Amino acid sequence: MNVRPVAERRQVLFTFKILYMKNISSNLLSIVYFLCGIGVLLLFWEVSSRLSDGELPGPIPTWEVFYELLKDPFYDFGPNDKGIGLLLWGSIVRVAYGFLLGTLVAVPLGILLGASKIAMNILNPVVQILKPVSPLAWFPIGLAVFQSAPSATVFIIFITSLWPTLINTAFGVSTVPQDHKNVAKAFGFSKFKYVVKILFPYSLPHIFTGLRLSIGVAWLVIVAGEMLSGGMGIGFFIWDSWNAGSMEKIIGGILIIGIIGLLLDKGFSLLQKSFSYEK
Amino acid sequence: MKNNIEAPTLEMYIKQDLGLTQNSIEINNVTVSFKTPKGKFDAVKDISLTIRKGEIVSIIGHSGCGKSTLMNTISGMVKPSQGEVLANGKRVTGPGPDRGLVFQNYSLLPWLTVYQNIYEAVDSVLKYFNKSEKKTLVKDTLKMVNLYEHKDKLPGQLSGGMKQRVAIARAFAINPSILLLDEPFGALDALTKSSMHIELLKLWNLDNRNKTIVMVTHDIEEAIFLSDRIVVMNNGPAATIKAIVDVPLLRPRHKKEIVHDPEYMKIHDQLLGMLMDKLSIADIKSSI
Ligand SMILES: Nc1ncnc2c1ncn2[C@@H]1O[C@H](COP(=O)(O)OP(=O)(O)O)[C@@H](O)[C@H]1O
Ligand SMILES: [Mg+2]
Repeated sequence: MNVRPVAERRQVLFTFKILYMKNISSNLLSIVYFLCGIGVLLLFWEVSSRLSDGELPGPIPTWEVFYELLKDPFYDFGPNDKGIGLLLWGSIVRVAYGFLLGTLVAVPLGILLGASKIAMNILNPVVQILKPVSPLAWFPIGLAVFQSAPSATVFIIFITSLWPTLINTAFGVSTVPQDHKNVAKAFGFSKFKYVVKILFPYSLPHIFTGLRLSIGVAWLVIVAGEMLSGGMGIGFFIWDSWNAGSMEKIIGGILIIGIIGLLLDKGFSLLQKSFSYEK
Repeated sequence: MKNNIEAPTLEMYIKQDLGLTQNSIEINNVTVSFKTPKGKFDAVKDISLTIRKGEIVSIIGHSGCGKSTLMNTISGMVKPSQGEVLANGKRVTGPGPDRGLVFQNYSLLPWLTVYQNIYEAVDSVLKYFNKSEKKTLVKDTLKMVNLYEHKDKLPGQLSGGMKQRVAIARAFAINPSILLLDEPFGALDALTKSSMHIELLKLWNLDNRNKTIVMVTHDIEEAIFLSDRIVVMNNGPAATIKAIVDVPLLRPRHKKEIVHDPEYMKIHDQLLGMLMDKLSIADIKSSI
């Protein structure tokens, strides 16, 4: 492992400097592997398309239809006719709102659960019951409360983002090693110093693990949520394309969803790395 | 307990003449019991020990016999179930700024640099210092242990010897009158260990040998080289002091020469006998 000084580690966080530049040859190799994987996918896709007698469009016709969409992604011809870029942006904004709200609730609550046995005993059963529920089941409640489909969609993303963050934060906070606690005790750290110099630095990698999981699930759920709410976002795009009978658009949409998901995950993985430390 | 009678050393005479002999640590009838799922477990039982100011004392014994536990009653990290410990005449109720602690496994905070690790301890203990005084103190301490060039490194970037120097520097920085070291050099290779011994003694000398040092170890050579007295513990549970061995070797001691000193060899054999003795009895028992 290459180790970076603290000042630089902070910088990485803000500039998102790509860390992999150092080893160019292994970088090159991973690009080659990536292209191979894409090649296999395209081949499989083309073969399936031929086997299905054109029911499933192949890569080339899909690209042709999709290219048209990408040429003008931000047009706006009223509520049910928007460019794919606008739809996608809408989804990203809703995920961002729901995720941020979820984080604002889950992190403090997680710290409370991790720090206090009593809070854990009281809230853990509640969390255990609510966690396995599909966030989509909350949609009607969101609708009833907010009387608005976009808000209800943000609400289900909020619920989605709660659990992984909450659980990982609580885990981080409750597993501060005895060694670190001993340092605090031996040198008489104040509560404040303990929180800032030991509890937080130790828990942050766990919190970011939770955030990374949360954003992943949130991005999964937004598509389904928007199919349910209709009229907005990339989920609606997929559903609308199905109604319009365009398999090409659906496949194109799937690829875009996948790529955004990948970028979100990579971004959070960089964040996570910049907050982790060498043992 | 006949070994308990202390033969006075030259240094003791000198200190006595100057009126410097004071008790730094008094352990009075200390028993430590832990609550375990199987019930109460006595780790150490009814231990009494007095350590004078400026003395270096090693605690030696088999793994798990209760050395750390005994040490932790002095540091205040463990409360005795019975008896009491006095440090500088005051009853120990918890850790305090008069006692500096070096843990068995360094216990540096991995996300803080060398400098910050020491600074946070100093900041916490020396509340009445202002910021620039604290900074100067940390820098001076780092220079003293030759770590100043490494001050911005994280513990993960340091060798075992360097980590241990940081841990010692952290304990030294708060200028405690008592320094407590729990197997400080156990994880180091022989060469690094030797140079750490010299460094520790240098620090002790710098302070006119006024600091009391209590060290847990299971290394006989280390104990003899460093100590004025060596406390040998029985095997637990309910461990007691088996013997206290004086080391009347003159200081400064030289690593290379001391091993040929007949007095050194005698003490070495004596300690080895006490520690091996237990082993052979166990062997006989298990082979019956
Ligand atoms: N917190 C604790 N709870 C229960 N038992 C303990 C605890 N700390 C130490 N012990 C037990 O006390 C005995 C002495 O431990 P310790 O002082 O760490 O030994 P040493 O340092 O000599 O290796 C061991 O049997 C150990 O299992
Ligand atoms: Mg120990």
